[in-house]
Amino acid sequence: MSGPEEPPAAASLDRDDLTPEQQVALEELLFRLADDEFVHAERLTEWQIFAPTIESDLALANVAQDEFGHARLWYDLLQELGYSEDECIWRRSADDWTHATLVERPFADDGWGDAVVRTYLYDVAERIRLEALVDTSYAPLADRVGKALAEEEYHREHALSWLERLASDEDAHERLQAAVDDLFPHALSLWYPSERGDAIRAAGFRREPVAAMREEWLDTVVPTLEGYGLVVPEPDEVARPEVRGRDGSHTDAWFDLREAFTATHREVDFDRPARLRGEEA
Amino acid sequence: MIWEVFRQEKPGEYHRHVGDVHAPDREMAKLFAQIQHARRMQTNSLWVVPQSEIGEVDAEEAAFGGRTDKSYRWAMTYNDIDASFAKEVEDSEAEQREAARKRREQLESEGEV
Repeated sequence: MSGPEEPPAAASLDRDDLTPEQQVALEELLFRLADDEFVHAERLTEWQIFAPTIESDLALANVAQDEFGHARLWYDLLQELGYSEDECIWRRSADDWTHATLVERPFADDGWGDAVVRTYLYDVAERIRLEALVDTSYAPLADRVGKALAEEEYHREHALSWLERLASDEDAHERLQAAVDDLFPHALSLWYPSERGDAIRAAGFRREPVAAMREEWLDTVVPTLEGYGLVVPEPDEVARPEVRGRDGSHTDAWFDLREAFTATHREVDFDRPARLRGEEA
Repeated sequence: MIWEVFRQEKPGEYHRHVGDVHAPDREMAKLFAQIQHARRMQTNSLWVVPQSEIGEVDAEEAAFGGRTDKSYRWAMTYNDIDASFAKEVEDSEAEQREAARKRREQLESEGEV
């Protein structure tokens, strides 16, 4: 027996079924996913030609390309809801972006440890977030989650393998610890609660509350990092950055990054952005 | 450390050598090989093998196939008939002719003929 408060079943809603309130909630969910992927990928591409070896360079570039592809999956769904690509990315105001501050942080020149810790923290979070969407009520989203999840497996394995190897070296261990100290408070911004969380769950877009996903993430990353001899700050006590990311407030580094990745678009002044993707999804 | 990479396209086919990767150990070699040698290719399986574990014998130390004329070993039985009725016979003859031609070229380049 399903009561009236029971959320819609998996893959039972399409675009035309959405109420205006549901659409607003869905858009927030999609923008958070898409913006995280896009900005994370944008930062990772900075390692091209600078990673420690040609193999690690290719591997990380490939991860970045995967994440761009995932961003495309989610931005496409937003475009089906009426946004243009310009509005999603190229001409969107910097303080409308809702990615977590973790993914906008700049890398130091010798920040390979940062890249490893960052991708680890991010990829565990992404797995948890995508798994929470497997039985989403929104059919067009349900179609795409599995594809993205399949690629995340490699990302996590890649990050973990590096983590394990760097942790066994004294000098690299120090760098990892510095990266954890620096990034962990920003990573917590992945789980900044949403005002629309209740609406998202009532519509069945996602079944898990953000707080539960945050717990699962902490239960995964904290013991893993500690297992490598790294000290992880107490999540509820560590000093948090004033900016939250999810609410549109960002660190200065974000505004520079956005200037850089939209520069070509502004200079060339396309009527509309070139579409590189040849096949569906 | 260098790992030689072998890629199998479909189940049952041979793994074919496709190149190498630098990696500190087997696990990382498998991770890197996936990207470097399989991300754009149809792949069913990859092998990574430490380069140092590969035994090699080359033409400098071995006289592969000997040095005397080996044409007497050819399958001659079918020479006077049109072999096109059986593709495997035709293929086999073509293969032997091609192998003999290459061997002759090699011997000529070594000044053996």
